[in-house]
Parts: sequence; structure tokens; C-alpha cells
Amino acid sequence: MTTASTLTDRYVEAALHRLPERQRPDIEKELRASIADAVDDRLDAGSDPAEAELAVLTELGDPARLAAGYADRPLQLIGPALYLDYTRLLTALLATVVPAVAAAVGLVRTLQGGTALPVIGDTVGAAFTAAVHLAFWTTLVFAIIERTSAPRRTPIRPWTPAALPEPPSRRARYGELVTETVLFVLITTFVLLSPVVSTETDAHGEPIGVLSPWLWETGVVYLFLALVVATLAFSFVRYYARWSVPVAVTGSIADLAAAIMLIWLAATHRVLNPAFVQAAGWPSSVPQWIDTGLVVLSVGTLIHIVTQGISRALRR
Amino acid sequence: MLSDELLSVHLQELRRGTVVLACLLILRQPNYGYALLDLLDQRGFAVDANTLYPLLRRLEKQGLLTSDWNTEESRPRKFYRTSDDGVALADTLSRDWDELHTAFRTLKGES
Repeated sequence: MTTASTLTDRYVEAALHRLPERQRPDIEKELRASIADAVDDRLDAGSDPAEAELAVLTELGDPARLAAGYADRPLQLIGPALYLDYTRLLTALLATVVPAVAAAVGLVRTLQGGTALPVIGDTVGAAFTAAVHLAFWTTLVFAIIERTSAPRRTPIRPWTPAALPEPPSRRARYGELVTETVLFVLITTFVLLSPVVSTETDAHGEPIGVLSPWLWETGVVYLFLALVVATLAFSFVRYYARWSVPVAVTGSIADLAAAIMLIWLAATHRVLNPAFVQAAGWPSSVPQWIDTGLVVLSVGTLIHIVTQGISRALRR
Repeated sequence: MLSDELLSVHLQELRRGTVVLACLLILRQPNYGYALLDLLDQRGFAVDANTLYPLLRRLEKQGLLTSDWNTEESRPRKFYRTSDDGVALADTLSRDWDELHTAFRTLKGES
């Protein structure tokens, strides 16, 4: 019966090595006794010894499953108690971090003077890497929580109906629209008046615009204003017309283009007029801070546009 | 027609938990794993060995069963016995079972 006993040994060994050390001796003794009892039962019924052992072990099933039962270990990566928290966190991370990383990498590579294809490749690659990392580490952390937290936990914070996502009320959205319009008028007025109205004047008494003359020489300022107008126009369309995918996508593209353009202008220091900075006697750090502030603001806008677009689309 | 798979899923759902009560009741007389498996089967509580053995350990850990190694026979066996807490739980569960039984009879209009 050498081979048959080897089979039991192998089975017991396979089950035990998945268990904590201190539980092993006791479980081994009991498991061996149970298997022996079951085999004896079959032998009494006239079964062949090898066959009996094979049948008993087959009935006991996968030793890994048996060991999980003994150790009271979950047979799932993330259980129902944690699953919703897990998906919510992962969705939030993916929807915010991935676009931010993509925008940052795309911007830096563009500023470094990359050509279109490699820039797109790097951006997509960085976004993909970020997504894989987020998914892996979040999953790992939750799998660890699943295996370490106190047995049979209750949800950390009980769900209440107050947690239901609120559809933006028409009134609130109208407030947004008004704010946007006012801001648009202020910004456009400021941009268009800046070459002729200024606190500083040159030797001939001509005003020194606060914004870089380069913007007018190249016509970039009109392109930027056109994008801002388009953005505002789409806000009105979104408010007064029914939500539809083409409107949402086109509107988002206009938003994105305006934000990206501002990032580009600020990052390449093409917003402020150096002559104005000099005339006003600002320290050199001020334009730096203004440019950085504009970039941060625009990146924030980018993230907001993307996450809002995703959440709207998900809610449909 | 109900598929066998669907039927077994629902039967399993309905019977989950009854094995615990059956164990607590049977183990008022001390017994060991394999004999208990056999006994449960005879009394109409079909349960797999790989479910029962870990379950006994879990109930012991919860203080519902106590255990002793019997080394008098040639094969040492771990004997389980329902503890006082286990008896109390068995009483509560039995009462609940009876109430459910009555509730079902009422539902079916037998009163």
C-alpha cells in the first residue's frame, strides 16, 4: 500500500502547507484520521485499497479549497463588503489621474519640441502606464484589506440616501452659465483693451500693453478668443438644447483646446509683455508665478472637463 | 421546467445554516468528524466532508463546540461536543426554525 499512502501524504501535505504553522499538527492528525476512517469504511464495503483511497481523496476535493476552509480564508480577491468602495475609488482615480498625467506628459513633450507622432505615442504610453499602476496598486491594497481586516466587518460608513448623486439643478446650472458669461465678457474686454489701456507708458507716452505684443503680431490672440467664444456658445447650447453626444464632445473639445492653448502660451512665457514687466518694475519672479498660476488653473480646468464629461456620459 | 443547476443553487441556499444547527444538536453526544459525517447523512443532512471538517473547527473557535483528543483507541480521534453556548444557540435556532415552519404553513393556507 506504499503508493496509496503516498497519495494521502501528498494530499495532507498540500492542504497543510497553506495553513498557519501552529494549526498544522492538530489539523494533520484529525485530517489523517478522517481520511483513514473513510478509507476503512470503503474497504469494509469490499473496495480495493487503492481505489478506496482515490475515491476518498477525490470526494474531499481540492486541498487548497479545504485549507481555505480551515483557515477561514476568503476564496475571492475582493469580497462584497469592499467591492463597491474598491470600484468607486478606482473609477475616481482613473478618471482624474490618467487625464492629468496624459495632459502633463503631452504638454512637456510638446514644449520640448517633439513632433506630433512621438508626442502622441508618449502621451498614450504614459496614460496607459498610469492606468495600469493605479489599477494594480488599488487592487493590491484592497486584496490586503480583505485578508487582514477584522473578521466579517460591517461597512465603514453606512450608506444613506444622502449619498445619491444629485442631478445638477437647472437653477444651479443657470448660475454657472451666468458666471461663465460674466467672466467671458471681463476677460475679452481685458484682452482687447490691454494694448491701448495700460498703467505704464513708454518714452513717447504710448501705452505699454500688459499682454505680449507677439499675440497680436501672430494673430494668436484672435484664435484664443475665438475658442473662448466657442466655449461659451457651447455652454449655451448645452443649457438650452438637449444633451447629446455630438454636442457634448464638440463642446468639450472647444473647452480642451482653449485650456491647452492657455497652458502652451503660459508655459512658453508668451502671455505677458516683457516691456510692461520692466516698466512696472516687477521682480522677475512675478511673471514666473503668473505663468505657473495660469498653467495650474488650466490643468485644473482640463481635469474638470474630462471628469465631468465621463461622469455625465456614465449617468446616461 | 426547472433546470437541475437552478434547483441545486436554491436548495443549497435554503439549506445553508441548517447543518450548523444539526451539528449542534447531534454533538450534544460527543462525536468525531467522520462518524458525524455519516450520522448527518443518515439523518437526512447531506453535507460534504470538505465543508463539515472546517465548519467544526470554526464552531470550536467560536466557542460553540469543545473538543478532546481520544487516544484510547488505536486511531486517535478528535471528539467534538456542544458547549453550553452551543446548546443555547441551538435552542434559539430551533425556535427560529419552528417559527419559520409555522409561518410557511400559514403562507400555504394550512393554518
